[in-house]
Amino acid sequence: MDQQTDTTVPAGGAAPTTCETGTTIGLEDAVVQARGIDKDYGRGDALVRALVAVDIDLQRGAYTAIMGPSGSGKSTLMHILAGLDRPTGGNVWIDGQEITSLKERALTQLRRDKIGFIFQTFNLLPTLNAEENIVLPLTIAGRKGDSAWIKELVDTVKLGDRLTHKPSELSGGQQQRVAVARALASRPAVLFADEPTGNLDSRTGEEVLRLLRHSRDSLGQTVVMVTHDAHAATYADRIVFLKDGAVAHDCGRLGRDEIYDVIKSLEDAG
Amino acid sequence: MIRIAWRSLTAHKLRTILTTLAILLGVAMISGTYVLTDQIDRGFQQIFTDAYKGTDVTVTRKQSFSGAQMANATAGLPETLVDEVKKVPGVSVAVGYVTGSGAVAVNGKVVGTGGAPTLFFSYSPDQAKLQPNTFVQGGPPTRSGEVGIIEKLAKDSRLGVGSKLQIITPAGAKTVTVSGVFTFAAQSSLGGALIIDTTLPDAQSWFDMKGRVSQIDAKAVAGVSPETLAGRVRDVVPPGVEVKTGAQAAADQTKQLSDAIGTFLKPALLSFGGIAVLVGAFIIFNAFSMTVAQRRREFAMLRALGASRRQVMVSITVEALLMGVLASLLGMLAGLGIAAAVNQLFQAMKIDIPQSGLVLAPRTIVIALVVGVLVTLLSAVIPAARATRVPPMAALQEGATLPPSRFARYSPFAAAVVAALGALFIAGGMFGPGGTTARLGTVALGAIFVFVAVAMVSKYLIRPLAGTLGWPLQKLAPVSGRLARDNSVRNPGRTAATASALMIGLGVVVFVAVFAQGLKSSFVDSIDRTVRADYIVQGQNFMPLPSDTVGRLQSVGGVSSVAGLDIQQVQVNKTMTAVSGIDPATFAPLWQFDWRGGGNDALLQELGTSKALVEEQTASSLGLKTGQDFTVTTVDGKRATLVVAGQFKDPMLLNGIVVSKAGYNAIFPKPQLYMVFVKSDAGAATPQQLTALKASLGSVPTADVKTVAEYKDSIVKQVNQLLNLLYGLLAMSVIISTFGIVNTLVLAVFERTREIGLVRAIGMSRRQVRRTVTYESVITSIIGALMGIFVGVVFAWVVSTRFAGQGITFSIPVTQLIVFVILAIIVGVIAAILPARRAARIDILEAIHYE
Repeated sequence: MDQQTDTTVPAGGAAPTTCETGTTIGLEDAVVQARGIDKDYGRGDALVRALVAVDIDLQRGAYTAIMGPSGSGKSTLMHILAGLDRPTGGNVWIDGQEITSLKERALTQLRRDKIGFIFQTFNLLPTLNAEENIVLPLTIAGRKGDSAWIKELVDTVKLGDRLTHKPSELSGGQQQRVAVARALASRPAVLFADEPTGNLDSRTGEEVLRLLRHSRDSLGQTVVMVTHDAHAATYADRIVFLKDGAVAHDCGRLGRDEIYDVIKSLEDAG
Repeated sequence: MIRIAWRSLTAHKLRTILTTLAILLGVAMISGTYVLTDQIDRGFQQIFTDAYKGTDVTVTRKQSFSGAQMANATAGLPETLVDEVKKVPGVSVAVGYVTGSGAVAVNGKVVGTGGAPTLFFSYSPDQAKLQPNTFVQGGPPTRSGEVGIIEKLAKDSRLGVGSKLQIITPAGAKTVTVSGVFTFAAQSSLGGALIIDTTLPDAQSWFDMKGRVSQIDAKAVAGVSPETLAGRVRDVVPPGVEVKTGAQAAADQTKQLSDAIGTFLKPALLSFGGIAVLVGAFIIFNAFSMTVAQRRREFAMLRALGASRRQVMVSITVEALLMGVLASLLGMLAGLGIAAAVNQLFQAMKIDIPQSGLVLAPRTIVIALVVGVLVTLLSAVIPAARATRVPPMAALQEGATLPPSRFARYSPFAAAVVAALGALFIAGGMFGPGGTTARLGTVALGAIFVFVAVAMVSKYLIRPLAGTLGWPLQKLAPVSGRLARDNSVRNPGRTAATASALMIGLGVVVFVAVFAQGLKSSFVDSIDRTVRADYIVQGQNFMPLPSDTVGRLQSVGGVSSVAGLDIQQVQVNKTMTAVSGIDPATFAPLWQFDWRGGGNDALLQELGTSKALVEEQTASSLGLKTGQDFTVTTVDGKRATLVVAGQFKDPMLLNGIVVSKAGYNAIFPKPQLYMVFVKSDAGAATPQQLTALKASLGSVPTADVKTVAEYKDSIVKQVNQLLNLLYGLLAMSVIISTFGIVNTLVLAVFERTREIGLVRAIGMSRRQVRRTVTYESVITSIIGALMGIFVGVVFAWVVSTRFAGQGITFSIPVTQLIVFVILAIIVGVIAAILPARRAARIDILEAIHYE
């Protein structure tokens, strides 16, 4: 952290008052709910408890950031919430459907219908052009898609003149904008973003963050973003801090300095 | 999904081209075989149809079996039968004629036909009404000593009306004059065969057919159908005579030829195509395995976006399907090209294939598509299945590897099962019941299983082999050698599959080489053990020698013994075998029999006309025991009963049944002298005597006089010629496996872009990078060669052991094998050229930033 800390919070002190621990929201509003999530790796002496009894609810239409130091379990938590990985214990509901017991086929269907992904490394198909990449989830699902919606998305991500370009002909920021449009194309119930700005410089990262914020504000899209970038997290309505596989703080909107304070407090406590 | 598959193919052009080529070439060989044999079939069908166009009914002696290619063997029909046929109501013309085979020489040099026969036909004016001979120069022969010749002979040998030429028939050599030049059925030649028209009396005297004819052709008067006329003729001919309509005769002769092609040429060519396809299958398997590994993240991403396993499977399968269809279609076109090229080659070698144009039968198209597409799909199935096992999580992770197959830990066990199955099939094919084709097929299937099993276990051998082979390279160039050695064991499965493709082609090459070596040495051994003669005389192209040959050789000074060998095909218990007639008095001093079953030299003098000596293997395959009576049936349907007087072992030279010349004459109508053995008084061959012997046969240019040593050499040379032909056909498989190595290296270089950039950044030269790739390639190709040599030698050993009774010994041609390893090294170096260049050209900066 090279950031100068001119914080009002005393060193080693508590988190800002906007943070409570273990907040849950009214169930009817939750698009993702998790209860008692455990995730263990290895066994015996080599047992690593990546997540321990995590409860978390994600409100529909909310922009949530998940933060935490390396090894805090933030990525694991996202993988489990998105149905990419199975927890050792506990349950996850997406749009009211329990997913940890779903079979491969149903999970595939779930990914198709309810979930959008944005990856740190963009993960566009190099052989398809931008437009084809955007509609790929629809192609996979065998759907035609709503052309007005796609057009709106293309306008939103400002790629109108780049649609026929291959990923290799696009800058990193443009590629990630394609990825955002792709994730939104199927109107997922929840959009997961894994370090979406991790591979971008600050200016293009900013564009992507604004885009995600815009998708929440104008389109009502639920967004969950894992990040270790405090600046990125300032775009979120809610920031969940993890430490040692458990939720350490659950905060509302925070400024950058407040975020640093929380991180610092977590580090100091550890 | 189809679009994704298509894009993936077009985006990786080099990979697609190399992989497509791998299967394309095999398909080309298979479809080329069909195009070529169809063309020959249709050409001959055309010729026979034309030849019998004017003929309504043919009358011949009934043949009790077919397949004996001996135009001079039959006694034919009595000439008086011609008049009987003429008298049949409804016959407008009936002509009896004599046919026979021999040779033609111009200026003392035999006119080559590339293995096709030189056929003689007697010609009478009436024949013009029946046969499609059209004289384009001069006219038909009218006097003794005159001949008409087919246009091809006239053109090739620059002959015209009045030219002199020599003809060689069983009656000896004669000089004759050209009376005219003709075309036959509008063809200037007949599949390379030469045709000579003679007068009837000449043909009768030359082919020992006095008072007889080979065939009678008749034409009906208007209003009488060929079938009706055939029925009427059938009523007047004696038993043992066959009457057919012209159309039927044409169809039968076409079929006989097609069968000959269908039982040998076609299966042989198809097997080489099959081997090429098998090699291609390995390469496709490998190419798909590698690209699936490379595209792991792509599949994971698709899965994360909601693609089902099925969709991933479909995407790769569609890719394979497109590739298969493309390869099959192009392969088919290439097959047409191959057939056209073979045509040119045949023409250059003066072997005429009837010109009927290239025939692309629907069957050829179907087979090419089915083989190409099916093999590609089957080869892609396992890699595709593995791709579906990539978890969506992999899209978010760095550096995870492809999940191992669920069955990976069973693979040594599976290899053992496959190997056992292969061994079972091979044993079943070699020792089991059934026809030759079915048994060969079973053995081939077994061999494929063994190849697959060896390929499966080979990945466990890569580490030690690459370590050993890499050692000298590391001494040669420490850095490149070390890296190449390490790189080739990085993904042992991949190196193994690449080497395995080369193993198959080389394995078959080695098998053929080792087997041929055994054949050559056992033949030579056999001659050393049994032949006591000093010279051997044989006709060129296995043409019979004139029957006065023995007498001429006897007249040469310093000759102690001369014995001829007349050979005819017969059937015993429905099985074809050969009967050899010898003169016991002259043959005994020339031949050291290896007696079995109570045989001894004294028996030779007691053969008379009813006793026979039977070769041990022949006796057992015919179910004959010493002292037993048996019946031989000649091609004319004549039967004779003989008794087995004794047995001897001689699988190489004198297999079949041996009777005295008197016994031979009692069974067969005509001599058919194939070989003459000569023993010198001096106890050894001398150059002077060889010259004298040759001079005694100077007028018979088809006779080859050789010392026994020369004869052995010529046999070895013939086997070597055949070997070279087989090597040529197998070269395709080796070329295909070269594409496989190129493919693997290109992908490996691509995968290691970052690494190569790194080593270049810390000071490795382009040359060193190129060397590293080349060494890796050479290590792979040598491993392939070693596996191929191992499998080939083992196969040859198994087969030689099986046929030990037929006199095949097992001997390893060490020099040849060393040549194959050197060849493999060259293959490795060539395969590395392109990938090494790509590796050397990698831009350092880009490479280290390369994601």
